[in-house]
Amino acid sequence: MSTQNIDPAASGARNKDMSDKGNKPKDTHSVSKRLQQELMSLMMSGETGVSAFPDGDNLFKWVGTLQGAEGTVYEGLKYKLTLDFPSSYPYTAPVVKFDTPIFHPNVDTNGNICLDILKEEWSALYTVKTILISIRSLLGEPNNNSPLNTHAAELWENQVAYKKLLLEKYKKDVTDKESS
Amino acid sequence: MASRVTSDSPNSDASGSASQDHEKEDSKNFECNICLDTARDAVVSMCGHLFCWPCLHQWLETRPTRQVCPVCKAGISKDKVIPLYGRGSTDQQDPREKLPPRPPGQRAEPENTGPFPGFGFGDGGFQMSFGIGAFPFTFFASTFNFGNDGRPAPPQAGSPQHADEQFLSQVFLFMAVFFIIWLMLA
Repeated sequence: MSTQNIDPAASGARNKDMSDKGNKPKDTHSVSKRLQQELMSLMMSGETGVSAFPDGDNLFKWVGTLQGAEGTVYEGLKYKLTLDFPSSYPYTAPVVKFDTPIFHPNVDTNGNICLDILKEEWSALYTVKTILISIRSLLGEPNNNSPLNTHAAELWENQVAYKKLLLEKYKKDVTDKESS
Repeated sequence: MASRVTSDSPNSDASGSASQDHEKEDSKNFECNICLDTARDAVVSMCGHLFCWPCLHQWLETRPTRQVCPVCKAGISKDKVIPLYGRGSTDQQDPREKLPPRPPGQRAEPENTGPFPGFGFGDGGFQMSFGIGAFPFTFFASTFNFGNDGRPAPPQAGSPQHADEQFLSQVFLFMAVFFIIWLMLA
Protein backbone atom coordinates (compact mmCIF):
# COMPACT_ATOMS: atom_id res chain seq x y z
CA MET A 1 0.00 0.00 0.00
CA SER A 2 2.74 2.43 0.95
CA THR A 3 4.28 2.27 -2.51
CA GLN A 4 1.00 3.44 -3.99
CA ASN A 5 0.90 6.61 -1.95
CA ILE A 6 3.89 8.21 -3.53
CA ASP A 7 3.66 10.86 -6.19
CA PRO A 8 2.86 9.11 -9.45
CA ALA A 9 5.18 11.35 -11.42
CA ALA A 10 8.08 10.67 -9.11
CA SER A 11 7.40 6.96 -9.15
CA GLY A 12 7.27 7.00 -12.93
CA ALA A 13 10.69 8.56 -13.04
CA ARG A 14 12.00 6.03 -10.59
CA ASN A 15 10.57 3.14 -12.58
CA LYS A 16 12.23 4.45 -15.69
CA ASP A 17 15.55 4.48 -13.88
CA MET A 18 14.99 0.95 -12.71
CA SER A 19 14.04 -0.39 -16.10
CA ASP A 20 17.07 1.31 -17.61
CA LYS A 21 19.18 -0.51 -15.12
CA GLY A 22 17.39 -3.77 -15.88
CA ASN A 23 18.01 -3.48 -19.60
CA LYS A 24 21.67 -2.86 -19.09
CA PRO A 25 23.76 -5.97 -19.10
CA LYS A 26 23.89 -7.03 -15.50
CA ASP A 27 27.26 -8.58 -15.92
CA THR A 28 28.94 -7.66 -19.19
CA HIS A 29 32.15 -8.99 -17.74
CA SER A 30 30.97 -12.59 -17.79
CA VAL A 31 29.66 -12.22 -21.33
CA SER A 32 32.93 -10.82 -22.63
CA LYS A 33 34.79 -13.46 -20.69
CA ARG A 34 32.83 -16.18 -22.42
CA LEU A 35 33.34 -14.53 -25.81
CA GLN A 36 37.07 -14.38 -25.14
CA GLN A 37 37.03 -18.07 -24.25
CA GLU A 38 35.25 -18.80 -27.51
CA LEU A 39 37.74 -16.74 -29.49
CA MET A 40 40.61 -18.64 -27.89
CA SER A 41 39.14 -22.06 -28.57
CA LEU A 42 38.13 -21.09 -32.11
CA MET A 43 41.66 -19.95 -32.89
CA MET A 44 43.20 -23.01 -31.26
CA SER A 45 40.88 -25.53 -32.90
CA GLY A 46 41.88 -24.77 -36.49
CA GLU A 47 38.44 -25.80 -37.70
CA THR A 48 38.42 -26.11 -41.48
CA GLY A 49 36.02 -24.04 -43.48
CA VAL A 50 34.94 -21.62 -40.73
CA SER A 51 36.61 -18.70 -39.00
CA ALA A 52 35.47 -15.70 -37.01
CA PHE A 53 36.98 -12.70 -35.33
CA PRO A 54 35.62 -9.72 -33.41
CA ASP A 55 34.87 -6.72 -35.58
CA GLY A 56 37.32 -4.11 -34.36
CA ASP A 57 37.37 -3.46 -30.62
CA ASN A 58 33.79 -4.51 -30.09
CA LEU A 59 33.76 -8.00 -28.65
CA PHE A 60 29.98 -8.16 -29.05
CA LYS A 61 30.08 -7.99 -32.83
CA TRP A 62 31.96 -10.57 -34.82
CA VAL A 63 32.62 -11.19 -38.47
CA GLY A 64 32.65 -14.81 -39.53
CA THR A 65 33.64 -16.43 -42.78
CA LEU A 66 32.73 -19.83 -44.04
CA GLN A 67 33.71 -21.80 -47.09
CA GLY A 68 31.27 -24.09 -48.84
CA ALA A 69 31.86 -27.71 -47.91
CA GLU A 70 33.52 -30.03 -50.42
CA GLY A 71 31.11 -32.12 -52.43
CA THR A 72 28.31 -29.54 -52.21
CA VAL A 73 27.30 -26.98 -54.80
CA TYR A 74 28.80 -24.32 -52.53
CA GLU A 75 32.31 -25.83 -52.78
CA GLY A 76 34.91 -23.16 -53.35
CA LEU A 77 32.59 -20.26 -52.48
CA LYS A 78 33.36 -18.03 -49.53
CA TYR A 79 30.76 -16.14 -47.50
CA LYS A 80 31.00 -13.49 -44.83
CA LEU A 81 28.58 -13.36 -41.91
CA THR A 82 27.96 -10.97 -39.05
CA LEU A 83 27.28 -12.16 -35.52
CA ASP A 84 25.69 -9.76 -33.05
CA PHE A 85 25.78 -10.87 -29.45
CA PRO A 86 23.08 -9.59 -27.09
CA SER A 87 24.04 -8.73 -23.53
CA SER A 88 22.04 -11.79 -22.47
CA TYR A 89 24.36 -14.09 -24.43
CA PRO A 90 24.73 -17.08 -24.11
CA TYR A 91 21.24 -17.38 -22.66
CA THR A 92 19.82 -15.99 -25.86
CA ALA A 93 21.11 -16.60 -29.35
CA PRO A 94 23.26 -14.11 -31.26
CA VAL A 95 21.79 -12.52 -34.37
CA VAL A 96 23.57 -14.14 -37.29
CA LYS A 97 23.23 -12.81 -40.82
CA PHE A 98 24.93 -13.36 -44.13
CA ASP A 99 26.88 -10.27 -45.12
CA THR A 100 27.70 -11.70 -48.54
CA PRO A 101 24.54 -12.17 -50.64
CA ILE A 102 23.83 -15.89 -50.88
CA PHE A 103 21.41 -17.91 -52.99
CA HIS A 104 20.08 -20.52 -50.59
CA PRO A 105 16.61 -21.90 -49.74
CA ASN A 106 16.88 -20.90 -46.05
CA VAL A 107 18.41 -17.44 -46.43
CA ASP A 108 16.43 -14.41 -47.56
CA THR A 109 17.66 -11.54 -49.69
CA ASN A 110 18.65 -9.55 -46.59
CA GLY A 111 20.87 -12.33 -45.33
CA ASN A 112 18.54 -13.50 -42.57
CA ILE A 113 18.96 -17.17 -41.83
CA CYS A 114 16.14 -19.54 -40.92
CA LEU A 115 17.83 -22.06 -38.65
CA ASP A 116 16.16 -23.60 -35.62
CA ILE A 117 19.23 -23.47 -33.36
CA LEU A 118 19.33 -19.69 -33.81
CA LYS A 119 15.71 -19.45 -32.71
CA GLU A 120 13.63 -21.80 -30.58
CA GLU A 121 16.24 -24.54 -30.37
CA TRP A 122 18.99 -22.24 -29.08
CA SER A 123 21.03 -23.60 -26.22
CA ALA A 124 23.61 -21.87 -24.04
CA LEU A 125 26.01 -24.61 -25.07
CA TYR A 126 26.30 -23.42 -28.67
CA THR A 127 29.30 -21.34 -29.57
CA VAL A 128 30.40 -19.27 -32.52
CA LYS A 129 32.19 -22.35 -33.77
CA THR A 130 29.17 -24.66 -33.58
CA ILE A 131 26.93 -21.99 -35.10
CA LEU A 132 29.22 -21.55 -38.08
CA ILE A 133 29.62 -25.31 -38.51
CA SER A 134 25.83 -25.68 -38.41
CA ILE A 135 25.35 -22.96 -41.01
CA ARG A 136 28.04 -24.53 -43.16
CA SER A 137 26.24 -27.86 -43.10
CA LEU A 138 22.93 -26.08 -43.73
CA LEU A 139 24.38 -24.89 -47.03
CA GLY A 140 24.76 -28.46 -48.27
CA GLU A 141 21.57 -29.73 -46.63
CA PRO A 142 18.88 -27.07 -46.86
CA ASN A 143 15.49 -27.48 -45.28
CA ASN A 144 13.30 -27.09 -48.34
CA ASN A 145 10.10 -27.53 -46.35
CA SER A 146 10.20 -24.01 -44.88
CA PRO A 147 12.10 -21.94 -47.41
CA LEU A 148 12.76 -18.21 -47.22
CA ASN A 149 13.83 -18.28 -50.86
CA THR A 150 11.23 -20.39 -52.68
CA HIS A 151 13.01 -20.11 -56.01
CA ALA A 152 16.12 -21.69 -54.53
CA ALA A 153 14.06 -24.38 -52.82
CA GLU A 154 12.32 -25.33 -56.05
CA LEU A 155 15.53 -25.36 -58.03
CA TRP A 156 17.42 -27.43 -55.42
CA GLU A 157 16.20 -30.71 -56.94
CA ASN A 158 18.05 -29.92 -60.12
CA GLN A 159 21.58 -29.61 -58.76
CA VAL A 160 23.18 -28.86 -62.15
CA ALA A 161 20.89 -25.93 -62.86
CA TYR A 162 21.15 -24.82 -59.21
CA LYS A 163 24.93 -24.74 -59.34
CA LYS A 164 24.86 -22.83 -62.61
CA LEU A 165 22.56 -20.15 -61.23
CA LEU A 166 24.43 -20.07 -57.92
CA LEU A 167 27.77 -19.45 -59.63
CA GLU A 168 26.22 -16.80 -61.86
CA LYS A 169 24.80 -14.98 -58.86
CA TYR A 170 28.01 -15.37 -56.87
CA LYS A 171 29.99 -13.92 -59.76
CA LYS A 172 27.59 -11.00 -60.08
CA ASP A 173 27.26 -10.28 -56.34
CA VAL A 174 30.74 -11.07 -55.09
CA THR A 175 33.49 -11.58 -57.64
CA ASP A 176 32.57 -8.62 -59.85
CA LYS A 177 32.11 -6.31 -56.90
CA GLU A 178 35.46 -7.26 -55.43
CA SER A 179 37.28 -6.62 -58.68
CA SER A 180 35.53 -3.35 -59.43
CA MET B 1 48.73 -38.07 -11.96
CA ALA B 2 48.19 -41.82 -12.33
CA SER B 3 44.81 -41.26 -13.80
CA ARG B 4 46.35 -39.20 -16.54
CA VAL B 5 48.74 -41.97 -17.55
CA THR B 6 45.98 -44.53 -17.72
CA SER B 7 43.69 -42.15 -19.54
CA ASP B 8 41.54 -44.00 -22.04
CA SER B 9 41.87 -41.33 -24.66
CA PRO B 10 42.31 -43.15 -27.99
CA ASN B 11 45.03 -40.88 -29.28
CA SER B 12 47.16 -41.00 -26.15
CA ASP B 13 50.87 -41.37 -26.64
CA ALA B 14 53.83 -41.10 -24.35
CA SER B 15 55.26 -37.80 -25.62
CA GLY B 16 55.45 -34.73 -23.42
CA SER B 17 53.07 -32.66 -25.52
CA ALA B 18 50.44 -35.37 -25.21
CA SER B 19 50.57 -35.30 -21.43
CA GLN B 20 50.15 -31.53 -21.58
CA ASP B 21 47.15 -32.05 -23.80
CA HIS B 22 45.75 -34.45 -21.26
CA GLU B 23 46.18 -31.95 -18.52
CA LYS B 24 44.17 -29.51 -20.55
CA GLU B 25 41.59 -32.17 -21.38
CA ASP B 26 41.26 -32.99 -17.71
CA SER B 27 40.52 -29.44 -16.71
CA LYS B 28 38.14 -29.17 -19.66
CA ASN B 29 36.19 -32.07 -18.22
CA PHE B 30 35.21 -29.83 -15.33
CA GLU B 31 34.23 -26.79 -17.32
CA CYS B 32 30.74 -25.43 -17.04
CA ASN B 33 28.83 -26.01 -20.25
CA ILE B 34 27.50 -22.46 -20.20
CA CYS B 35 30.34 -20.11 -19.23
CA LEU B 36 33.02 -22.49 -20.57
CA ASP B 37 35.06 -21.83 -17.44
CA THR B 38 35.89 -24.18 -14.57
CA ALA B 39 32.58 -24.78 -12.83
CA ARG B 40 32.10 -22.94 -9.53
CA ASP B 41 29.27 -23.86 -7.17
CA ALA B 42 29.08 -26.89 -9.41
CA VAL B 43 25.89 -28.82 -9.92
CA VAL B 44 25.27 -31.80 -12.15
CA SER B 45 21.98 -32.57 -13.88
CA MET B 46 20.30 -35.97 -13.82
CA CYS B 47 21.50 -36.41 -17.40
CA GLY B 48 25.07 -35.96 -16.14
CA HIS B 49 25.97 -32.51 -17.42
CA LEU B 50 28.03 -30.14 -15.31
CA PHE B 51 27.22 -26.47 -14.78
CA CYS B 52 27.97 -23.61 -12.45
CA TRP B 53 24.84 -23.17 -10.41
CA PRO B 54 24.57 -19.42 -11.21
CA CYS B 55 24.86 -20.21 -14.93
CA LEU B 56 22.26 -22.97 -14.88
CA HIS B 57 19.97 -20.88 -12.68
CA GLN B 58 20.02 -18.07 -15.18
CA TRP B 59 19.41 -20.50 -18.04
CA LEU B 60 16.36 -21.85 -16.24
CA GLU B 61 15.15 -18.32 -15.46
CA THR B 62 15.56 -17.26 -19.08
CA ARG B 63 13.10 -19.88 -20.29
CA PRO B 64 10.74 -20.78 -17.45
CA THR B 65 8.32 -22.59 -19.74
CA ARG B 66 10.84 -24.85 -21.38
CA GLN B 67 13.32 -26.15 -18.84
CA VAL B 68 15.74 -28.34 -20.73
CA CYS B 69 19.36 -29.29 -20.32
CA PRO B 70 21.44 -27.02 -22.57
CA VAL B 71 23.58 -29.99 -23.60
CA CYS B 72 21.16 -32.82 -24.34
CA LYS B 73 17.76 -31.09 -24.06
CA ALA B 74 16.54 -33.56 -21.46
CA GLY B 75 14.01 -32.13 -19.05
CA ILE B 76 15.66 -30.66 -15.94
CA SER B 77 14.49 -28.70 -12.95
CA LYS B 78 15.96 -26.90 -9.99
CA ASP B 79 15.10 -29.78 -7.67
CA LYS B 80 16.65 -32.40 -9.88
CA VAL B 81 20.24 -31.18 -9.97
CA ILE B 82 22.88 -32.50 -7.61
CA PRO B 83 25.38 -30.16 -5.98
CA LEU B 84 29.00 -31.33 -6.18
CA TYR B 85 31.32 -30.89 -3.22
CA GLY B 86 35.01 -31.35 -3.97
CA ARG B 87 37.57 -32.02 -1.27
CA GLY B 88 39.20 -28.65 -1.80
CA SER B 89 36.07 -26.65 -1.32
CA THR B 90 35.65 -25.41 2.22
CA ASP B 91 32.19 -24.13 1.55
CA GLN B 92 29.81 -27.02 2.08
CA GLN B 93 26.66 -25.00 1.60
CA ASP B 94 24.25 -26.27 -1.01
CA PRO B 95 24.95 -24.03 -4.00
CA ARG B 96 21.27 -24.03 -4.86
CA GLU B 97 20.60 -22.13 -1.64
CA LYS B 98 22.78 -19.20 -2.53
CA LEU B 99 20.94 -17.86 -5.49
CA PRO B 100 22.65 -15.26 -7.56
CA PRO B 101 21.08 -11.89 -6.87
CA ARG B 102 18.05 -11.81 -9.04
CA PRO B 103 17.35 -8.80 -11.23
CA PRO B 104 14.94 -6.41 -9.53
CA GLY B 105 11.29 -6.73 -10.46
CA GLN B 106 10.08 -4.06 -12.79
CA ARG B 107 6.79 -2.53 -11.75
CA ALA B 108 5.10 -0.27 -14.25
CA GLU B 109 2.47 2.15 -12.97
CA PRO B 110 -0.97 1.62 -14.51
CA GLU B 111 -1.93 3.92 -17.35
CA ASN B 112 -4.16 6.81 -16.28
CA THR B 113 -6.77 6.77 -18.99
CA GLY B 114 -9.81 7.51 -16.81
CA PRO B 115 -11.30 10.98 -16.16
CA PHE B 116 -9.78 11.15 -12.67
CA PRO B 117 -6.02 11.23 -13.05
CA GLY B 118 -4.41 10.00 -9.89
CA PHE B 119 -7.69 8.63 -8.56
CA GLY B 120 -6.26 5.15 -8.19
CA PHE B 121 -3.61 6.43 -5.80
CA GLY B 122 -6.12 7.29 -3.09
CA ASP B 123 -6.11 5.04 -0.08
CA GLY B 124 -8.93 2.69 0.83
CA GLY B 125 -10.73 5.17 3.10
CA PHE B 126 -11.14 7.70 0.34
CA GLN B 127 -12.71 5.20 -2.00
CA MET B 128 -15.08 3.96 0.67
CA SER B 129 -16.39 7.43 1.60
CA PHE B 130 -16.97 8.11 -2.06
CA GLY B 131 -19.13 5.01 -2.29
CA ILE B 132 -21.31 5.95 0.69
CA GLY B 133 -21.73 9.53 -0.43
CA ALA B 134 -22.33 9.01 -4.10
CA PHE B 135 -24.51 5.96 -4.16
CA PRO B 136 -27.60 7.31 -2.32
CA PHE B 137 -27.27 10.58 -4.18
CA THR B 138 -27.56 8.96 -7.57
CA PHE B 139 -30.24 6.72 -6.16
CA PHE B 140 -32.38 9.65 -4.99
CA ALA B 141 -31.70 11.56 -8.16
CA SER B 142 -32.91 8.71 -10.31
CA THR B 143 -35.87 7.74 -8.13
CA PHE B 144 -37.39 11.17 -7.69
CA ASN B 145 -36.18 12.36 -11.07
CA PHE B 146 -34.82 15.75 -9.98
CA GLY B 147 -34.55 18.20 -12.81
CA ASN B 148 -35.43 17.82 -16.41
CA ASP B 149 -32.48 15.96 -17.85
CA GLY B 150 -34.00 15.16 -21.22
CA ARG B 151 -35.03 11.61 -20.46
CA PRO B 152 -38.43 10.37 -21.71
CA ALA B 153 -41.34 11.12 -19.40
CA PRO B 154 -42.39 8.33 -17.01
CA PRO B 155 -45.19 6.14 -18.36
CA GLN B 156 -48.84 6.70 -17.48
CA ALA B 157 -50.06 5.36 -14.12
CA GLY B 158 -51.84 2.01 -14.54
CA SER B 159 -49.97 0.98 -17.70
CA PRO B 160 -47.95 -2.25 -17.55
CA GLN B 161 -44.71 -0.22 -17.94
CA HIS B 162 -45.65 1.84 -14.90
CA ALA B 163 -46.20 -1.30 -12.82
CA ASP B 164 -42.87 -2.68 -13.99
CA GLU B 165 -41.06 0.52 -13.09
CA GLN B 166 -42.67 0.61 -9.70
CA PHE B 167 -41.54 -2.90 -9.05
CA LEU B 168 -38.03 -2.14 -10.30
CA SER B 169 -37.70 0.96 -8.19
CA GLN B 170 -38.78 -1.03 -5.14
CA VAL B 171 -36.14 -3.62 -5.92
CA PHE B 172 -33.52 -0.89 -6.24
CA LEU B 173 -34.69 0.78 -3.05
CA PHE B 174 -34.39 -2.50 -1.22
CA MET B 175 -30.94 -3.08 -2.68
CA ALA B 176 -29.83 0.41 -1.72
CA VAL B 177 -31.05 0.03 1.85
CA PHE B 178 -29.41 -3.36 2.08
CA PHE B 179 -26.17 -1.97 0.67
CA ILE B 180 -26.08 0.96 3.09
CA ILE B 181 -26.76 -1.28 6.06
CA TRP B 182 -24.11 -3.69 4.85
CA LEU B 183 -21.61 -0.83 4.52
CA MET B 184 -22.39 0.39 8.04
CA LEU B 185 -21.98 -3.06 9.53
CA ALA B 186 -18.84 -3.87 7.59
